[in-house]
Amino acid sequence: MSPEALELELARLHPAAFGWAIACCPGDRAAAEDALQASYLKILDGRARFAGRASFRTWLFAVVRNTAAELRRRAAWRRLLPLAALGDAPDGRPDAATVLARADGTRRLVAALATLPRRQREVLHLVFYQDLTITEAADVAGVSLGTARTHYERGKAALRKLLKEDRQ
Amino acid sequence: MTERNDADLGDRFHALRREDAATAPRFDATLAAARARAAAPARRRARWLAVATVLVAGVALVLLVMRPDRRGRTIGLASVRWNGPTDFLLVLPGDELLRTVPNVGRMRPSILPGLPGAGFTTTDSDRRTP
Repeated sequence: MSPEALELELARLHPAAFGWAIACCPGDRAAAEDALQASYLKILDGRARFAGRASFRTWLFAVVRNTAAELRRRAAWRRLLPLAALGDAPDGRPDAATVLARADGTRRLVAALATLPRRQREVLHLVFYQDLTITEAADVAGVSLGTARTHYERGKAALRKLLKEDRQ
Repeated sequence: MTERNDADLGDRFHALRREDAATAPRFDATLAAARARAAAPARRRARWLAVATVLVAGVALVLLVMRPDRRGRTIGLASVRWNGPTDFLLVLPGDELLRTVPNVGRMRPSILPGLPGAGFTTTDSDRRTP
């Protein structure tokens, strides 16, 4: 894929990729932007190559997911070592501005999602938010189809319960 | 029931998607920021190198300060006693006799217990009373 074609594809998928980046860095908009920038850089530098094994969107989401995980690990190390003064080390918590900007219903959904295990949250986001199939969600999350299906069912049940409790 | 609930969840997620899309940064701004990041690694690497150098130097300094001074230390030979593994061969039966000077005219019952009359022989010194 030529660099121009890559850029066009990235531009087309940018809003969805941003939503996915926010899901990978729960509620932390700055961390999500960092992850997205680092992912685009990897793709345009050729450090992440699209081999055509999956759809471009699935592959892009997998790159964003892995990059966000890398940044999270690095931030955890920075918090562990007394090097926070050397650079911004996001603490992984949702930033207040993002939380306040949300409508009431979505704020409740985000709060409920935040209590779910990461895998469940990821699969639910990919299926409901990004309209991927469970098979595609499994590809992005790097798990088997059976595992993704289990996460989907358990996550859905837990989310429904949380939202119902919240309504009462 | 489940499908209706799924649709409800789907609606909630779609509302979230619309919100995120409305606040998403523009693609060209994100790309420009990504390209600006590419220039940063050299500076960041230099910073990490400086931190690593300071840490290594600190550890080396602490080790140097805490290391015992070996040059000024002497070994007290009088306090050293080495026991060889074959020392037991030098222990002879009755070697006490070889280390003491025999007293003529005096018989020590503890040395020759089998002799007739042992334990009954007395010397002048035995007769002394305190």
